[in-house]
Amino acid sequence: MTNTREITLTVNGTEHTIDVEPRQLLVHAIREELDMTGTHIGCDTGNCGACTVLKDGEPIKSCLMFATQADGSELMTVEGMEDLPEARGDLHPLQEGFREEHGLQCGYCTPGMLMSGKALLDENPDPSEEEIREAISGNLCRCTGYQNIVRSIEYAAEELEEVAAADGGTTVASGTDTSSADAPSAFDSEFDCGVENCCGGPTTDRNHDADTGGEHK
Amino acid sequence: MKPAQFEQHEPETVEEAVSLLESLDDRAVLSGGQSMVPMLRFRLAVPETIIDINRIESLDYLEEDDGWLTIGALARHADVEHSELIAEHYGSFADTAPLVADPQIRNRGTVAGAIAQADPKGDWGSVLLAHEGEVVAQGPDGERVIPADEFFLLPYDTTLDENELLTELRVPTPAPREGSAYHKLKRKVGDYAMAGSAARLVLDDEGRIEQAGIGLTAVDITNVRATDAEDHLEGERPSSELFKRAGELAAEQSNPESDEHGDVEYKERMVNVLTQRALGDAAERAGLVKQRVSQ
Ligand SMILES: Cc1cc2nc3c(=O)[nH]c(=O)nc-3n(C[C@H](O)[C@H](O)[C@H](O)COP(=O)(O)OP(=O)(O)OC[C@H]3O[C@@H](n4cnc5c(N)ncnc54)[C@H](O)[C@@H]3O)c2cc1C
Ligand code: FES
Ligand code: FES
Repeated sequence: MTNTREITLTVNGTEHTIDVEPRQLLVHAIREELDMTGTHIGCDTGNCGACTVLKDGEPIKSCLMFATQADGSELMTVEGMEDLPEARGDLHPLQEGFREEHGLQCGYCTPGMLMSGKALLDENPDPSEEEIREAISGNLCRCTGYQNIVRSIEYAAEELEEVAAADGGTTVASGTDTSSADAPSAFDSEFDCGVENCCGGPTTDRNHDADTGGEHK
Repeated sequence: MKPAQFEQHEPETVEEAVSLLESLDDRAVLSGGQSMVPMLRFRLAVPETIIDINRIESLDYLEEDDGWLTIGALARHADVEHSELIAEHYGSFADTAPLVADPQIRNRGTVAGAIAQADPKGDWGSVLLAHEGEVVAQGPDGERVIPADEFFLLPYDTTLDENELLTELRVPTPAPREGSAYHKLKRKVGDYAMAGSAARLVLDDEGRIEQAGIGLTAVDITNVRATDAEDHLEGERPSSELFKRAGELAAEQSNPESDEHGDVEYKERMVNVLTQRALGDAAERAGLVKQRVSQ
C-alpha cells in the first residue's frame, strides 16, 4: 500500500512539486526529494533543532512535521541565505558572523542556528543577549558552548543594520564599535592579529564599510 | 525511524472531522504533531489513519467570549505567548507559554493538543485546573463540556471519548480582584517540568481570599489540584505565613516519584517553594488588577 500525494513546496523562492507518502517527514522531503542536505537531522525526538527551517517565516522543526502539512507553504533553508538581498551576492551577514566570531566548530548545528537566528533578526533587528539566547534555546550545540554563537548573531545584527543604513542612502555614522568589544584601540594603525585570514581589524573609515560592504573579506 | 504507513485525511470542518472519527476504525487525530510525530516515529502509535485537523480554520482562535477566555483547538503555544490579551489579564497563561518547550515547538504545538496528550509533566493541565477551566468536545451526539477536574484519568489517558474531537478549552474571565501565576522548575531551558505549580486567587472586597485554585505539574500520575492548600487559603487574608502553610499542604498532597531529577523529599520541597512563589505572584497581580479598576 503506497499512497502518495502531490504537494507543492516553495523552497527559497523556487516552487517544487513532488509526490510524497503521508508519512514522509518534511525534513526527509527536503533532504531526499529536493536534494538539499543543508538541513540536518540530529535526533529522533524533536530536541536538537538541527532540522530547523522557516515555514512562512516562522522557525519550526522539520522532523516534527509531515511534508504534506507544508503543502502550499513558503520554506526557507540554509541554502537560500546567500540569495537574500542582504547577502549582496556573498555570504549572508549571519553566515559571515558565524565565520568571523567562530560560531561553529563541527558545524552540525549551524544550519539550524542560522535559521533560528534569521527568524529572530527578522522580528527583532536589535536583540539583547538574553533574547538571542531565548531564540536559540531550541537548538543544541555540543561544541561551542554557545558564547560564540551569541556573538555571531550580535555581529549579524550590527552588520544588517549597516546594510540597511547603506541601502537607505544614509551614511553610517553611529558609534565606533563594529563588533568585537575588546579590539585594540589603535584604530588608525595597520592591524594584523597574525592569524591567517586576519580580517584586518576594525577600521575608522566608515565610508569604506558602507561602500564595499565591510572589509572583512 | 520513519512512521509506519498510514492513510491521511485533512478535514476542513469540525463536522467532517467528527464524522471521520466516527466512521473510521483505527485512527488518530494529528494537531500540532509535537507529541504525535515522535510517537509515530517511535511506533508507539501505529494508527491506520491520521486525521490532520490543521486545516479546520474555525478552530484557530484565542479570545474572550461571554465571560470565558476561549482557546480554540488550533491555538498554538506561541499564540498564547504573543497575545496582548493574555499578557494583560491572564498571568498564569503568560507565565506558562514561554516555559513550554522551545520557540520552534511553540510555533507548532497547540495548547489543546497538550491537554489531550495528558502528559503529567505537561504544563497547561495545571493552569487549566487552577482556573477551574473546562474542555469542550464535539462528538457524534453533539457538544459535551467536561470540567478540568474530571478530564485527566491516567498518564496519557483522559475522559475524552475516542469519537470526540477536543474543540476548545476555556476558563472564566478574571474577576475584578483576581491574579494568577505559574512557576516551573526544570533542569535546563526547554525541558519538561521537574515540578510546577499554577495558582489562581480571587480576592473579595475586604481583600480576603474568596477562591483559590492550585494545579501541580509532574508530581502525580496526572496534573492534580492541591485541594488541601486551596481549602486552607479560602476565607483568609493573603500573607507569607498563610502561603507557607499552603505550600506545605500542597507538598503533602503531592505524590512525586524519585527519578534522575531528584528524590521524593526534594521534589516535595520544590512543590512547597514553587507553590509559595506562584501564590505570591498571584496575590500581587490580584492587587494590581484592583489598582487598574479603581483608577
Ligand atoms: C522536545 C519537546 C519538549 C517539550 N516540552 C514541553 C514542556 O516543557 N511542557 C509541555 O507542556 N509540553 C512540552 N512538549 C509537548 C508539547 O507541548 C506538545 O505541543 C503538546 O504536548 C502536543 O500538542 P500538539 O498540538 O503538538 O498535539 P499532537 O502532537 O498533534 O497530539 C498530541 C495527542 O493529542 C491528541 N490530540 C491533539 N489534538 C486533539 C484534538 N483537538 N482532539 C482530540 N485529540 C487531540 C492526538 O491524537 C495525540 O494523541 C514538548 C515536546 C517536545 C517534542
Ligand atoms: S532532528 Fe529535528 S529536532 Fe533534532
Ligand atoms: S558546532 Fe558542533 S554542534 Fe554546534
